[in-house]
Amino acid sequence: MNFEYSEKEEKFRTEVRNWLKETLPKYLSEKVRKYQRLTKEDYELFMNNLSKKGWIAWHWPEEYGGTGWNAIEKHIFEEEIVKASAPRIVPFGVNMLGPVLIEFGSEEQKNYYLPRILNNEDWWAQGYSEPGAGSDLASLKTTAINKGDHYLVNGQKTWTTLGHHADKIFCLVKTDLNVKPQLGISFLLIDMDSPGVEVKPIITLDGEHEVNEVWFTDVKVPKKNLVGKENQGWTYAKYLLTFERTGIAGVPNSKSALNHLKMVSRKSMKNGKPLIEDPMFSSEVAELEIDLLAMEIFNLRTVSAAAEGKAPGMESSLLKIKGTLVRQKTTELLRKALGPQALPYLPEQFDEGWNEMPIGPEYAGPIAKQYFNMRKISIYGGSNEIQKNIVAKASFGL
Amino acid sequence: MDFSLSEERKMLQETVARFFENNYNDIKKRSEYLDMNDGFSREFWKESSNLGVISGLISPSFGGLGGSGEDISIIFELIGKSLCIEPFLSSGLLSSTILSSIKNPKTELINQIIDGELLVSFAHMEMNNRYEDYFVESKAFFEDENWKLNGSKSFVINGDSADKVIISARIEGKINDKNGIGLFLVDNNQINNRSYNTIDGYRAAELNFDNIDAELLCEDDLALECIIKANSAGALALSAEAVGIMQVCFDLTLDYLKTRKQFGKSIGSFQSIQHRMVDMMLEIEQVRSAVMLASSTFETNSSTRDKNISAAKNLVGRVGKLIAEESIQLHGGIAMTWEYSVAHYAKRLIMIDHLMGDADYHRDRFKLLSSN
Repeated sequence: MNFEYSEKEEKFRTEVRNWLKETLPKYLSEKVRKYQRLTKEDYELFMNNLSKKGWIAWHWPEEYGGTGWNAIEKHIFEEEIVKASAPRIVPFGVNMLGPVLIEFGSEEQKNYYLPRILNNEDWWAQGYSEPGAGSDLASLKTTAINKGDHYLVNGQKTWTTLGHHADKIFCLVKTDLNVKPQLGISFLLIDMDSPGVEVKPIITLDGEHEVNEVWFTDVKVPKKNLVGKENQGWTYAKYLLTFERTGIAGVPNSKSALNHLKMVSRKSMKNGKPLIEDPMFSSEVAELEIDLLAMEIFNLRTVSAAAEGKAPGMESSLLKIKGTLVRQKTTELLRKALGPQALPYLPEQFDEGWNEMPIGPEYAGPIAKQYFNMRKISIYGGSNEIQKNIVAKASFGL
Repeated sequence: MDFSLSEERKMLQETVARFFENNYNDIKKRSEYLDMNDGFSREFWKESSNLGVISGLISPSFGGLGGSGEDISIIFELIGKSLCIEPFLSSGLLSSTILSSIKNPKTELINQIIDGELLVSFAHMEMNNRYEDYFVESKAFFEDENWKLNGSKSFVINGDSADKVIISARIEGKINDKNGIGLFLVDNNQINNRSYNTIDGYRAAELNFDNIDAELLCEDDLALECIIKANSAGALALSAEAVGIMQVCFDLTLDYLKTRKQFGKSIGSFQSIQHRMVDMMLEIEQVRSAVMLASSTFETNSSTRDKNISAAKNLVGRVGKLIAEESIQLHGGIAMTWEYSVAHYAKRLIMIDHLMGDADYHRDRFKLLSSN
């Protein structure tokens, strides 16, 4: 047993860290650190830098322009991105659609779309969830009727993250209504500027616009935009969902949130003393830190098995559950640490260039908002309850 | 990075596992061993020695064949799986840790322990000193060229059958001074001991001594260091033991969910029960991970060693309670019986939190060590 990174891996880490130091503009990491709203251009700047460096497609095979990194290298890369306060990589094109096209797309689709994804020419969105199809995704209702040279699409998608920036959307649609739900689904690529596509914002409980509804009314989609075979979409959808995600536990994010929590609880006061000296509060922080420490090793065990070619099975589900609980606990303790300082809500504070006096310490502004925002992580990507169903079904033999 | 065991360790694991399985194949066997004179089986202890299980806990520098954090974890995880009650902790680990950490290590005594010929118990706990390394009330004094001890020690595991006892006693200072503690080696036949079984099926004793002769092993800083090291080694061993127990509890519960039928179907078909099993599985993986980390840093500097051991033991305390209580609850009435093994596993799992520092103690120690 050996928990150390190899010399080669440490060298890689230094390379990534130096590159981020050189290429990530200070204003941008500052925005990320302060939880300010990122513009489309902010995301694109970082992703274009990655593209130029050849580091954008780390889940793709090398012959398609992927990085060829193993799971440990991916893990190191993710850690460094978070440490540097870089924007997140918008995953829909490069991490979700890309692998599906490589596996199931036609030559024509691969030749056209993959280079465009590598160069960030298209902003992709994900069209999976519908108002009536969340955990039970197969019950989706959006239809695509075969009209010879095109499909006619009608229906509604929801929770479309950053869909208001998107040029294109990959959708699960019903192409056969007369069979078992899973058997009548197809995987379709749709231009967002097609007539009949309408994007409506959903404002979430923290007052932010990140997700959207996307409506389709008699939208004509050319036949060549079908991925794989008609009515086989469920297979591709599942492939995408179960696609290897080394970062599912979100260890780097939780580590940085924990450091933030320690900083805040040193500055927050209780009875004239720093809150971190309060035995009850510091005990909660300590047990959270212990949970995170254990999870980091659990994650590395899984990552290192993946690097040796063992596909993670139920470990991904377990890590997703624990990862979201730990992350949510950090936001809960941050909120508690602030006391009444958590109350003020100044939405304009999160705009670039805002330079008024904050109410209370500057770090207080985003914390309650972030707590509410993070409720989503145990819901999306297969809710924690669904993850438990998956584990039970796959490994209990009940 | 490599999370797998070396070939050598895999062999150790397989050999010890087979040995335990053959001798501890059923919970009734354990009761028989506990009912013996010493509260364990001398024969099994001797065979453990022949097979190298005891030497697996001790470093080659002192005549053993192992002694690393990984070796200790492998052996104690298997001890947990079998619920084995022989003196691996008291003689094999705690006493040998102290005897090997003093200025002039007692290699000869350690070799006798390895050979299964000598039993030495570590008597540190007192009735009211809880888990602290330095709360010591028993007194030591120097008289007529000899060290003498006065006082009492409590909850001394295998304190009745031990040939010798290592006693912590105060040479000077107040009960909670970090300085002024000495560790002494004493022949057990001088000590008045009252033995009893613990609720989790071990043999322990209360020791009372009045002006008995003692040999000084070490004092002051080194004595405290030895106590901390022994307690940390013990906490690591118990954490690994807990991993083994948790896995058995989980497996027994899962088996039972498949066979027990109510309302015309197996109770394992109910989603609420399945989800609780996933919670258990997840937390066991967390504990396993924490114990792996603690074993891997066992030989590093003492603050990293103790920080990671405290993380593991704290998690063991919290998760142990979950696994023990859920195993009983999900079994239902059958788990309330003496006859069924899961009850004994659950009892040991809970009581591990009462040895070598509980979850609260280790959480506070973790706090201290991670703020430095």
